Amino acid sequence: MQLQQRHTGSVLVVKPLEKRIDASTAMDLKQKMNEWIDAGNRRIVLNLSQVDFIDSSGLGAIISGLKKIGNDGDLVICMVKETVMSLFRLTRMDRVFDIFTSEEAALAALSQKG
Amino acid sequence: MDAAGTLKLIIESKLENISLIGSAVRGIAGMLSMDAISGYQLELCVVEAVTNVTKHAYHGESGHSVEVDILLYPDRLTFKIYDRGDTMDLSRIEPLAFDPSKVESLPERGMGVFILKTLMDEISYETVNGQNILTMIKYLKTGEGLSSPTVLIRN
Repeated sequence: MQLQQRHTGSVLVVKPLEKRIDASTAMDLKQKMNEWIDAGNRRIVLNLSQVDFIDSSGLGAIISGLKKIGNDGDLVICMVKETVMSLFRLTRMDRVFDIFTSEEAALAALSQKG
Repeated sequence: MDAAGTLKLIIESKLENISLIGSAVRGIAGMLSMDAISGYQLELCVVEAVTNVTKHAYHGESGHSVEVDILLYPDRLTFKIYDRGDTMDLSRIEPLAFDPSKVESLPERGMGVFILKTLMDEISYETVNGQNILTMIKYLKTGEGLSSPTVLIRN
């Protein structure tokens, strides 16, 4: 999976550059998420602005990242397309994740938690 | 009532092939003037069903066929997904139950069938002579449908 990643302070910002996060790419995302967290990243922004399609496998990979961080940090999401947002609403994950309309808002929220 | 058109899609059971089916479904949704969210959700359901077959009925093995028939009626779309893998018991799938405030209770899998059951209007599953058939029906909303049914391949 093609990803763009950068640090802003202590926050890791990750932007998948693929249009789809589905069963064929979910394991890759989950593995990368594990590596970031194992490397000490505890505050992560996932920018989904390039993603048109997420299925339950892709959603599961994102959830696994949040579970791995646990209460020791946070994984927030930003710039979710309305179509993809409908999956978060359907599965009630919109009540689990903090979801922001811009990367700046996501960074600001995570910075306050630091 | 006869279907106005039928589209038959066949892929080898590989996860990377499933987006081909998904793209076809999204194309049909667009052709039927569905809004973006309805089109996404239709694609999602078919992708979840074919993923289930690939992962669970065929245990992730490539080399098997997964066939999807898409039947268009004036009032509905019917999807039939055929495989010859292990039979699944969809009734055993638990509802999506978790506490949003408890991270440890969040599900990482098992959401696919919940999605199908929630978004589709009718679902049935049967096994006939070793072939599993998942049938999913979505009724069209007002304003959705084909202006010219001849654009689909007629049986």
